Amino acid sequence: MDYREKFEMALEKVQKAPRYTGGEMNTAVKAWDTTPLRFGFCFPDTYEVGMSHLGLKILYGLINRESWSLCERFFMPWTDMMEWMRKEDIPLLSMESRRPLSEFDVIGFTLQYEMSYTNILAMMDMGGVPLETGERGESDPIVVAGGPCAFNPEPLAPFIDAFMIGDGEDVMTELNRVILRRKEEGWTREKCLRELAGLEGVYVPSLYEVSYEEDGRVRSVVPKAEGVPERVKKRVVVDLNSTYYPEEIPVPYTEVIFDRIMLEIMRGCTRGCRFCQAGMLYRPVRERSLEKLTELAEKLQEATGYEEISLSSLSSGDYSCLPELIRTLMRNMKDKRVSISLPSLRIDSVLKESLEETQQVRKTSLTFAPEAGTQRMRDVINKGVTEADLLEKVRDAFEGGWNSVKLYFMDGLPTETEEDLDGIADLARKVVGEYFAVPKEQRARGLRVTVSVSIFVPKPFTPFQWAPQDTIETVFAKTEHLKKVLNIKGVTFNWHEPYVSFLEACFARGDRRLGQVLRKAYEKGCVLDGWNETFRFDTWMEAFRDCGLDPAFYANRERSRDEVLPWDHIDSGISKEFLWRENEKSARAEVTKDCRKGCNGCGLQKWKGVCGYANSCGI
Amino acid sequence: MRILAVFEKGERIRHIGHLDIQRSVQRGLRRSGLPVAYSQGFNPHILITFASALSTGACGKREIMDVTMTEEVTAEEFLARINRAMPPEMQVSEARAVDQRYPSLMGLVRAAEYDLLIRDQETGKRLTALIPEFLARDTIPAMRKTKTKLVECDIKPLILSLRGKENHLYATLVLTERESCKPQMLLEALKQQANIEEDVRMLVTRTALLGEDDQGVLVPLEKL
Repeated sequence: MDYREKFEMALEKVQKAPRYTGGEMNTAVKAWDTTPLRFGFCFPDTYEVGMSHLGLKILYGLINRESWSLCERFFMPWTDMMEWMRKEDIPLLSMESRRPLSEFDVIGFTLQYEMSYTNILAMMDMGGVPLETGERGESDPIVVAGGPCAFNPEPLAPFIDAFMIGDGEDVMTELNRVILRRKEEGWTREKCLRELAGLEGVYVPSLYEVSYEEDGRVRSVVPKAEGVPERVKKRVVVDLNSTYYPEEIPVPYTEVIFDRIMLEIMRGCTRGCRFCQAGMLYRPVRERSLEKLTELAEKLQEATGYEEISLSSLSSGDYSCLPELIRTLMRNMKDKRVSISLPSLRIDSVLKESLEETQQVRKTSLTFAPEAGTQRMRDVINKGVTEADLLEKVRDAFEGGWNSVKLYFMDGLPTETEEDLDGIADLARKVVGEYFAVPKEQRARGLRVTVSVSIFVPKPFTPFQWAPQDTIETVFAKTEHLKKVLNIKGVTFNWHEPYVSFLEACFARGDRRLGQVLRKAYEKGCVLDGWNETFRFDTWMEAFRDCGLDPAFYANRERSRDEVLPWDHIDSGISKEFLWRENEKSARAEVTKDCRKGCNGCGLQKWKGVCGYANSCGI
Repeated sequence: MRILAVFEKGERIRHIGHLDIQRSVQRGLRRSGLPVAYSQGFNPHILITFASALSTGACGKREIMDVTMTEEVTAEEFLARINRAMPPEMQVSEARAVDQRYPSLMGLVRAAEYDLLIRDQETGKRLTALIPEFLARDTIPAMRKTKTKLVECDIKPLILSLRGKENHLYATLVLTERESCKPQMLLEALKQQANIEEDVRMLVTRTALLGEDDQGVLVPLEKL
């Protein structure tokens, strides 16, 4: 039996076989033999997660659109399939033509969250690709990665040949061209990597030398060769209207997490919440035009048959002509029975008007993210939302017939006290109060208020990048306190165990040495760490011990202002000075205004013509 | 008016369950731009019924659906537009326009024809060789799965025809809302006859859905 037959056999045995079968509408099977460059797009989590990801759909369409390149998808198999594959010696196969990962010229991982890192190793391992850069030979694929976690690439440095930093649309094609030239001109790997390092926004970690202080802090990260940039500047797509956006996207047979059209209306955010990494990394804010969005919505609906379009961005409420966009989409889509949903609504920008329009199609639960329980704490994190704002929007919603509200908070934020935790309960109680203030005959029955509290993870390129994370013990104590104060009728409290957040904190701000911990953990069996049923914290701690590294050094240690951070050689466009200034303001609970109200001098103002709100004289 | 359409569930997508197939057909219809009718209510869905749910893991050569239209559509037009909108594994091979009075498909199904491929050649030949003595039995006990338990039943009267060629079994099995014989039940009974205990891999392809014509003869449902 060859491996394809064995794969067929495994499909009969595993759970959820459809996640492995492919053949979905709008998936491309391009001619293998006549397409010179073959790209394997790897999403290091399950099919259901990966197929919900917009970035995959953009790059999939973008690479397949070029006549000279093809893109096929790979996902992380679940444990039952992994066992079959290992037992029967079946390599990791692409969804389209069912070819092993090792047959591709270049394989690219998208880095969305730290807890997917062991899956990267597992996928390469099963795909027949040597794990570390130094172990790969001339016939092995070039391994690349991009996405938000690529901004601190160091923990993955031993495994990835080249990282793409920032927006992928332009650099993806440039990178593929270089790899095509390697193939055509017979360049060595080494020569190819040198060429890649010359592209703007591409970081080739093997060309940099990291040195450490005696106490384990990074002393320096310096290029090993000439022509390799000291700092790698992120790529920015300046105009979202002219950049590529897919007009048809794969439609899974089975239900995935986000099973709908995602219309990216805007990239970036001007709010400047101090805990939010995406808010910093995706700067500056750029909008797609109303005309472009209307046209894309039309085409995507026709190509997919989806019943729902969600407007996607970090802060959809800030889109400059949101009511008009919603009205236009509703008008165009009504006869096609397509509903429009607005995720990640910020409470100070939910317009009553658009609330009423959403209701026209379907009444879903409303989500608000005050993030913190007291005004002081919200000022510390620069979440420019007041209690009055929130309660007004909640009242509107209850009056409009909603009965279900979700409230998102974080605990473990810098300077947090018990008062701030109590504030979460106070706010929840007031929300319940707003519901009962609506006359009985006017409100929908069955109030449901869900309070979710997640654990703060300090991230690189944020004003809190120097901050310690609460220890596991502290988090548990705080959760116990929250359980007590949130015992309110009508309120459900969702809390999280701190172990995953603790590891996230390690890897988010980790240095290159963590690569060995990662490999050790993988070899000890850690995989699919983002899933409760497969996460093995004790094994991770063993891996740290085996490597002689202390996780608390990464998660719970406060950094000083002058410390060289492991990601300092990556240039996000946001200056360290700005971040430090924000950090100091945060300690004083001082807020910073929205960039739309005037430039705050985050650093992008030095980068000509990139930010529409930049003021060249800075602050 | 309604359209009866014959479609395929290809081998590659055989693990897709019936609910997902239904949703995929709905999305295909939405992509096609055909004038399909929707249900009233809060979550409107396309007015469509399927003659019979096909099991997860099975392929279908001639599955049948029944779609209600808001305006007249010819069979040719339906075929041209739906096939552009369906994935390669779910193409529609035939369509027929019927009026509102045409009876519901689900109540018409009496039996189904199957092509059962035994993956292992030797086992397949061994099983097909046993068919004559298998059919000569007075009763053929088998286990039927209900929602909660296994029930013993006699499938002899439910096997309308059975022949074999090499490692293929060709079977016509009763399929009604009241009683039916699933291919897996037939296989298990045959295995017992052959004293085979281990797993036998079988690829199930349902090749036709049958109804009864005026004379009580079984004919393909779409020909009624």
